[in-house]
Amino acid sequence: MSTANLVNENFDDSEDEDDFNPKPADLSDVEDAGDGEDPNVQIRNEAAKHLADEDNNSEDGGDRRRSSNKSQDEDEDDEGGGGEDEDEDDEEDEDDEEIAGPKRKRVKRDRRNVFLDVEAEVDEDEDEADEDEEGNEIDGGFIADTHPDDLADLPAGGETDDRRHRELDRRREMEASLDAEKQAEILRQRYANKNRSGRGLGESDIVPRRLLLPSINDPSIWAVRCKEGKEREVVFSIIKRIEERMGTHDELKITSAFERGGIMSVMKGFIYVEAQRSADIMTALDGLMNVYPRTKMLMIEIKDMPDLLRVTKTPPLEPGAYVRLKRPPKYAGDLAQVIDVTDTGLELRVRYVPRLDYGMNEDMNAQLDGSKRKRTAAGPRPPQRLFSEIDAKKRHAKHLSGNPQTKSWSYLGDDYINGFCEKEVKLQALTTKDINPSLEEVTRFASGADDGTENLDLNALAASLKQSTANASYLPGDIIEVWEGEQKGVMGKAVSIHGDIVTMAVSEGPLRGQKIEVPVKGLRKRFKEGDHVKVIGGSRYRDEVGMVVKIAEDRVTLLSDQGNNEITVFSKDLREASDSGGNASLGQFELWDLIQLDPATVACVVKVERESLVVLDQNNQSRTVLPSQISNKIEKQRRSLVATDRNGAQIKLDDNVKEHAGETRTGKVIHIFRTYLFLRSASQSSNAGIFVTRTSAVNSVTAKATAASASLDLMAMNPALKLNPGAGNGGDMPPPKSFTRDRSIGQTVTIRKGPYKGLLGIVKEATDSSARVELHTKNKTIQVPKDALAFKDKLTGASIDPNGRGGRGGFSGRGGRGGFGGATPGGWEGGRTPAAGGDLGRTPAWGLGRTPAANGGRTPAWKKDGPDSGSRTPGWADGSRTVNPYDGSRTSYGGGNRTPAWSSGAKTPAYGGISSNAFDAGSKTPGYGGSGGGDAWGSKTPAYQPTPAADTWSSNNQSSSNSWGSNAYDAPTPGAPMSAPTPAAAPTPGDYSAPTPAPYSAPTPTAAPTPAPGWGGGWGAPTPQAMDAPTPGGQGAYYAAPTPGAYVGVPETPAANWQDDGPRYVD
Amino acid sequence: MFFVLNLTHQVTLHPSYFGRSMHELVTGKLLKDVEGTCTGRYFIITIMDTVDISEGRILPGSGLAEFNVSYRAVVWRPFKGETVDAIVTSVNQVGFFADAGPLPLFVSSHLIPPDIKFDPNATPPQFTNNEDSVIEVGTHVRVKLIGTRAEVGSMYAIASIKEDYLGCLQGS
Repeated sequence: MSTANLVNENFDDSEDEDDFNPKPADLSDVEDAGDGEDPNVQIRNEAAKHLADEDNNSEDGGDRRRSSNKSQDEDEDDEGGGGEDEDEDDEEDEDDEEIAGPKRKRVKRDRRNVFLDVEAEVDEDEDEADEDEEGNEIDGGFIADTHPDDLADLPAGGETDDRRHRELDRRREMEASLDAEKQAEILRQRYANKNRSGRGLGESDIVPRRLLLPSINDPSIWAVRCKEGKEREVVFSIIKRIEERMGTHDELKITSAFERGGIMSVMKGFIYVEAQRSADIMTALDGLMNVYPRTKMLMIEIKDMPDLLRVTKTPPLEPGAYVRLKRPPKYAGDLAQVIDVTDTGLELRVRYVPRLDYGMNEDMNAQLDGSKRKRTAAGPRPPQRLFSEIDAKKRHAKHLSGNPQTKSWSYLGDDYINGFCEKEVKLQALTTKDINPSLEEVTRFASGADDGTENLDLNALAASLKQSTANASYLPGDIIEVWEGEQKGVMGKAVSIHGDIVTMAVSEGPLRGQKIEVPVKGLRKRFKEGDHVKVIGGSRYRDEVGMVVKIAEDRVTLLSDQGNNEITVFSKDLREASDSGGNASLGQFELWDLIQLDPATVACVVKVERESLVVLDQNNQSRTVLPSQISNKIEKQRRSLVATDRNGAQIKLDDNVKEHAGETRTGKVIHIFRTYLFLRSASQSSNAGIFVTRTSAVNSVTAKATAASASLDLMAMNPALKLNPGAGNGGDMPPPKSFTRDRSIGQTVTIRKGPYKGLLGIVKEATDSSARVELHTKNKTIQVPKDALAFKDKLTGASIDPNGRGGRGGFSGRGGRGGFGGATPGGWEGGRTPAAGGDLGRTPAWGLGRTPAANGGRTPAWKKDGPDSGSRTPGWADGSRTVNPYDGSRTSYGGGNRTPAWSSGAKTPAYGGISSNAFDAGSKTPGYGGSGGGDAWGSKTPAYQPTPAADTWSSNNQSSSNSWGSNAYDAPTPGAPMSAPTPAAAPTPGDYSAPTPAPYSAPTPTAAPTPAPGWGGGWGAPTPQAMDAPTPGGQGAYYAAPTPGAYVGVPETPAANWQDDGPRYVD
Repeated sequence: MFFVLNLTHQVTLHPSYFGRSMHELVTGKLLKDVEGTCTGRYFIITIMDTVDISEGRILPGSGLAEFNVSYRAVVWRPFKGETVDAIVTSVNQVGFFADAGPLPLFVSSHLIPPDIKFDPNATPPQFTNNEDSVIEVGTHVRVKLIGTRAEVGSMYAIASIKEDYLGCLQGS
């Protein structure tokens, strides 16, 4: 035994120096018992006579000291059991205290030799062999020399007296010994004293640490290669070999052997053997399995020896903490919760959410073949799901057993409790650092309670989170403050971060300008009110961006940019945000996006969370959806998309509108969907300021002036040029006006429609829209719409192209009724409807709308389609309506609902007049009422009567109710007749510029112009239904202008209208 | 704080506008485009005059003409710490919103003196200390900006009235 024997006197400081002590003594017991839990096994090989001793004595490299109470107890046991001599020793001490008087003391001291052999024995236990021998020799000599002298010196009877005292004391001692702890303490003190004096180390209680370090006189330690993972086995076999050869000739001459294996250890693959010579090791290990002493053994330098036994403390895991699994691969990375920890801390019982497929993906054929089964296991792992015995029973009933009451099941060898898999796992199979569990993962564990209540252990979570965010969250540039330690209160900016040390440039106080290094744990981030910050880390507000409004200790309250709500988080979870707090997005969905949930429901994203979206649907209900539940995203509608408010004013995206009733909230339009508006209000905190209203419930509060001027887009075609052909080369030239007599007059025609269909006649008179035809069959002249005529060659009877006639105004130029084109020109093409001429901003339609006739003004067709109000077509509601750009901010629709053009058409007496033909449908308008024929409407509409035109009409009508010329089309034309009565309208005739009466006279386009459009549509699709049939969009396309404005506007431009209709007309 | 800045802006003009009044159109467009807008750092309050309108340059492909217009404008840039007057636009539990000219700002209840409390029962809801300070919609308040936030075309501020001489403007 060459190792220094540093024994009990080191008790006091040993606890402080557990760095040095790889294992407490009690663990050594465990090792000896064969329990393999200790990763570091040490064995001792002492001189043969000491082998039976426990490790109370010198340990390992000799630099080890006893540290635990248990070893003290062992001391006590050993020595107490050793004999009564100890007690006598006690007695002696007590005597010293109790009995004063130097003489007595001296006497006792003299007699000490009585106990000397006992002391020697104790020493023997604890000291090295050589020293013991020495001591024995000394003791022996001492006893031999002094004992007789003592006897001689003793007074008579003194010896016996003394014995009695001792007996008494012994008895007392026996009583005292009942309190083992106390006794142990006494013993400890005594031995400490004794050994100190015996060792001659002086009075000091503390042995300098350096003296405990191995020196060159101590045996050397060699690292011997062994098979990785078999380190412990090797050590055990060495133990075994030592025991086998104990007391034989070839005792192993090694002092100790130990290993520091382990998966993460850098010392794996080696065992460490302590011996004087390497040859001893060679012989000791010769023939052992898995160890390779013949490969190069590394001798450990003396200065490195202590490091071999250094223990790095791993933080203890407590039940409730979170860990991650490393094995098996199926669960790699999954979060698990510690339920229980074994005493050694090396094995844990954890629970986790199982990934089971319950045999669903199992290849039944492959079951017999082990290798194949392995391969299938490598496939994609099933999702995490709580254990379901129902699923398990489906295919694996035979593997399932358990108790449904307690919800504990055993399935395929694993235990499932409350749906979680519970398992004993070795520490090596777990990751315990930087767990950083996400909230989603944690909630899986939280929601597992039987009663459904959340039992989230926030403390455990906090502990898990604390570890992970401690150092990672500082970045250079962060403003930080020291709040712990000597530099408390120092503020500055982080300059660099190395591991746990942050270098900061102090910005305030006496240290200003200096750079100091501070450990991370004493730091916190510093924010000021008004700072723009982002939440990072594990908070559930992660990624929220906002402005700091309040700071209390390390809690910071911030006002979220998005939600107008306040959030309180720890300052460690914050970071200065760049000024643009980017909108969160999840996949393709971003905040404020309009999404489609199902064919009938759209919603606006009001909050983006980490894996889900909170949306507000059109019914003002908010809900949480996953991206997978969203059928598609509705791209931001084109800018031209508009709706009309309750006053008929247009609403565009980004307009400000105000609710008419209710809370009269104001908001900016961010989406328009059918009749719904999604508005955003900065002053509202719920739903991120988003709310939904209907278009009919809001007033536009956007300044009209800007809206009007905004319509002038200098980057697009100059509308003035576009619409005013006279003003430039922009527009098409209108077809030349023809003031000659209508060329259809005198032509032979057949009537293609109506009650006179098929009859042949000669056109006697014509307006631009209708003709009076003298029939060949009867001597009768009837009025027929021109498009119901087919022109025939007088001689051959062959059809001729009416255009060829060229003369007929409209027909000539445009393939349609050129007449119309020509008719409307002036006023209209100038961008004003004829009516507009008289009343800016109002189309004639307006005028019409106000007439009594207007009441019936909504054509049935519209009514049918308009869900909201009779007059509104869905198309309109869609907001697809644009405003007539020339109209300023008002739609030319006049409130949108009332589609003037249509109304006019609807009411038009024309319908009535044509009651007999396809237009019948339209005949239901009140205007029709009495209308047996043209006169009916003529008479009913007041407009007609006053106007000369009306006269014309009536006369026409009377003559033939069918006459196309009647113009029904014109008549109704809001333009002329209707407006006539109204003062505003009064000018209109003039406006037409046509010779006033002319309008009605066939050639002049005037009459035709306005209504024409409406009619055009009507004619094109003769039945009213046809009119509504086209969706607004369709119409838009049709007219090449999707906007309602266009609808009205363009139709009114005869050209377009006729072009569309032309072909049919020609037919 | 208000500044006079020399700024430039690009205006493009459709060929159909080419003609004598081009410069007026360009100026008009400039006013329309720029005046009253927010760059994210400041508000352009008004344009004083145009310093220079460059010659138009035809953009290849489109035929549009591009003009560089330099102009002088009065701008307002709200600063942290600046004291401004504002009109309250909405009041709720967590604080009140106000407009300082073009700048919407929010005064959190944390930044309101503790004696001024929210009274949800008043109509309209108000912050009041039951004495002279009543903050409701329309009230004129003097606030100190403690933080501004810039977004693409707008700005936003957090303000405080938790200091002397801030809060309700008397007699307003």
